[in-house]
Amino acid sequence: MPISELKKQALAVFSGAKNLAELDSAYHLYLGRKGKLTLLLRSLRELPETSRREKGKEANDLHDFLEQQFSKRKQELQKEEFTQSEKAERIDVTAPGKRIALGRLHPLTRVQRAAIRIFGSMGFGVAEGPHIEAEWYNFDALNIPANHPARDMWDTFWLKDSKNSRLLLRTHTSPVQIRYMESHQPPFRIIAPGRVFRYEATDAKHSFDLHQLEGLMVGRDVSVAHFKAVIQKFYELFFAKSMTIRLRPSYFPFVEPGFEVDMSCVICGGTGKKAKNTPCSSCGHTGWLEMMGAGMVHPNVFKAAGYNPREWQGFAFGMGVERLAMMKFGVPDIRLFFEGDLQFIRQF
Amino acid sequence: MLFSYNWLQDYVKERLPKPKELEDLLLLHAFEVEGYEKRGKDWIFDIAVLPNRLPDAGNHRGMAREIAAIGRLSYQEPKRKPVKAQKGSIKPISFSIAAQSLAPRYTAFVIEGVSVKPSPRWLKERIEAVGGNSINTIVDLANYVMQETGQPMHAFDYDQIQGNQMRVRMARNGENLVLLDDKKIALPEGALVIQDAKRLIDLAGIMGGKNSAIGEPTKNIVLQAATFDQAAIYIGKTKLGIQTQAAQLYASGLDPNAALPALERAAELLSGLGGGKVVQIIDWYPRKTLPAKIALEVSYVHSLLGEKIPETQIRSALLRIDCKVRSRLQKKHTLVVEAPTKRRDLLTPEDCIEEIGRLFGYENIKPKFPSSPLMPPAQNSELPWREHVRDILVAAGLVETYNYSFTDKRAPEVFGYDAGQRRELLELENPLSEEYFYLRPNLAENLLRNVARLERTEQDIRLFEIGKAYWQSENRPQEQWRVAGVLAPGSFHEVKGIVELLCERLGITECWFDDFQQTPLRSGKSLWNMQRSAECKLGNTRIGFVGEISRALSVSLKMRQNVAAFSLNLEAFVAAATAERTYRPPSRFPASVRDIALLVPRGTKVADVLNVMEARGGQLVRDIDVFDIYEGERVHGGMKNLAFHIVYQSEDRTLTSKEIDALHDRIIKALEENPEWEVRK
Repeated sequence: MPISELKKQALAVFSGAKNLAELDSAYHLYLGRKGKLTLLLRSLRELPETSRREKGKEANDLHDFLEQQFSKRKQELQKEEFTQSEKAERIDVTAPGKRIALGRLHPLTRVQRAAIRIFGSMGFGVAEGPHIEAEWYNFDALNIPANHPARDMWDTFWLKDSKNSRLLLRTHTSPVQIRYMESHQPPFRIIAPGRVFRYEATDAKHSFDLHQLEGLMVGRDVSVAHFKAVIQKFYELFFAKSMTIRLRPSYFPFVEPGFEVDMSCVICGGTGKKAKNTPCSSCGHTGWLEMMGAGMVHPNVFKAAGYNPREWQGFAFGMGVERLAMMKFGVPDIRLFFEGDLQFIRQF
Repeated sequence: MLFSYNWLQDYVKERLPKPKELEDLLLLHAFEVEGYEKRGKDWIFDIAVLPNRLPDAGNHRGMAREIAAIGRLSYQEPKRKPVKAQKGSIKPISFSIAAQSLAPRYTAFVIEGVSVKPSPRWLKERIEAVGGNSINTIVDLANYVMQETGQPMHAFDYDQIQGNQMRVRMARNGENLVLLDDKKIALPEGALVIQDAKRLIDLAGIMGGKNSAIGEPTKNIVLQAATFDQAAIYIGKTKLGIQTQAAQLYASGLDPNAALPALERAAELLSGLGGGKVVQIIDWYPRKTLPAKIALEVSYVHSLLGEKIPETQIRSALLRIDCKVRSRLQKKHTLVVEAPTKRRDLLTPEDCIEEIGRLFGYENIKPKFPSSPLMPPAQNSELPWREHVRDILVAAGLVETYNYSFTDKRAPEVFGYDAGQRRELLELENPLSEEYFYLRPNLAENLLRNVARLERTEQDIRLFEIGKAYWQSENRPQEQWRVAGVLAPGSFHEVKGIVELLCERLGITECWFDDFQQTPLRSGKSLWNMQRSAECKLGNTRIGFVGEISRALSVSLKMRQNVAAFSLNLEAFVAAATAERTYRPPSRFPASVRDIALLVPRGTKVADVLNVMEARGGQLVRDIDVFDIYEGERVHGGMKNLAFHIVYQSEDRTLTSKEIDALHDRIIKALEENPEWEVRK
């Protein structure tokens, strides 16, 4: 068979192969160990040198050419085959994805971080203080004298036989005010997040071990108006919606004037009503949520910290971190934060 | 505190606002209203009178005055009717007081010829409206005047007072008294009492004595309206746990000037309740309480509230709460405020500013942002690191928990504390319960309890907590930030890996792990499986433990899996942490890996083998990984097989295989210098 004929035949068979198996046998037929071209090449050995060189080149060129064509055709057929098999491999996209076990931050960490970030953006630094406190810092320095009914406002855990002075678990983060002022000069603004302890029975709304976030801003002319602006902005940024706050008169010995701060209800938006005019249970259909105690720093507190109260004025506040988290995430029971329940923590 | 709407109306000229309006008015300007409900033709309000306002507003006249001030209504109260003692037929009482400090004022009327009988309907209704029980004319009268004026009163049966003597003094240790409610109490030291010639007859300011109580046969009475020492009453009532309204009022500090007018009011009412003749007036009042005079600068009002309230409105607010206001002649815009003595809470300019603010209405103060130099706040040095540790542990797949800061009474037993650990525990004077008995001495125990609870429902538990632990040393309480984590199931090497990761991310290089040291104090019972745990050290200081939990403890906590944990002093970790990193260029030249397998006695430490390899390998050994540690049937007794990948790489050239082979051989030779070690070829 002349080489040109062989080329024509082989090309026809290659392109006629319908799948990889057919192509494979076509390969064997021409290029395999006993293939037609292989045999032809082998038979050239018997030719005389002159015609061998000429024929040989022709046959070798054909060999390279066919190898090329075979690869080309093989790629085509492979692509076809993959396309075919991919059609059969269609997956169920509704089946769940494979999860990687991630760690989680506790929701109280998230809330405290958010608060630190928001107050930080308004120039508030972070201060901290010990959990085991001296009576002086927790009470006396905060204008809460011994044997005064004001002390009854805080149910206190006392440490057993503490030797020198009586020691307690701090009932609020307010002692940090005194400690900070003792070592810093105004003007300044700080927040002090941390654990506080109350000697009281637990229920859905109360815990004996909880977190507070204290705030203190001191300067020459710090006012109630400033407090309103800062706190309203904090709630707006924290809850990511527009908020109104209101101040009601209240009494905390370490501030004067003192107030309770209410925030418009995050659930009903301050209307006291939910859809279809049903009463909003989150705010007891008043439209307001009690969020914290606050006020203007009492001159006696400045005195206790070694400041001249005629020179400085400031505001202070203390909000419950759990309460913020409960409002933010709709958590109905404060105890959930402390139960180490993974199903709870994983939701955040 | 309960208030009758109709009763309040008695003292206000105009109609009171409707109940709902009244609630809102009080809420925004004075007190929280806990609730109100209709009873008959009346409304009963439950108002949370603030503790510092109890002396002036914790009664119907005071509350009516408050409402009038807020609502700009006219307050009216009956004129005082002064009383003069008449000649009587009974002997006068001789009154004395052990120390002037016990009572700023003691006032009493001796009244002859009263008739004790059931109260008339109007009196009964008022007493019951505010939650009281009607008893008889005299007792109800005393109660009524207290509800009306805020001055507690007490009536003694004159004929039961022996020797016509009354003396106020401190109780002495070991004294007893039977109170009106028939309870016999042991009097605490510091409580105030009244005695007659022979015996105690009254727990002053808190509750009367049974022996001098008013009964039907009572003919003559001593009607007392005192101002006892505030702190003494507070101590007495706190120690005894008795919460009478009178005690509460006394403890909050009363106006001594209110005592006599209250008695006059009682005498006036008595004429409609069967009569009686005042035959003696006792009025011990050595030092008269005068109104406080407060200099108030208008500019300070503006500055503290942040709102320019006109001076006329400032004056008007102060006048409405019964202050007298004068201008200071030599200084413009400075007011002299004279606060009535019943307002014991009005002593400073700030006190006045609160009154101005709340009457003006806080809602009328416009929010204003403070302006201040654009200087960033000082950074807390520890907090960001603690937060960083949280993030690393979360990235490592651990879930953060918050546990209570307490541990239960049985913890020393359950967790096998030795004598030293027991001594270190911090105990509370008033623990909440046995479950929360001690302050937690570490974080790991509560995490293990979490695991024991979670095991029932969770497959792979990985928890951590960052918080404080508490203990005492040398009688001083200590507290420390700690970080602890648990893995269930978990092994020593997994938790060690987490701690190593922490060190790497915090830039801590001096952290190492040492064998668990047995000390005489650590008796062997412990949280940790000592064979499979390590002490984590920074330099020479132990900062915590890493390892597997003792199997005995797993059994007692009912944990089924092998649990591993770490418990570290976070403060020491944070102190060693650094954010500094030095850039080292990555090598552009290829790395080659050769393996070494080594048979060593079981006691041999990987660290010792690594030291030999690193020392001999030098600069060109970039890394050595332990990829297998095998102890078992396939190696003969007492031995274990260690397998390492050694990564060879140069920073400035491609290493030839000849070079690498030669270095690798040198390392093998170095290992073989130890006669107990056998490199497997």
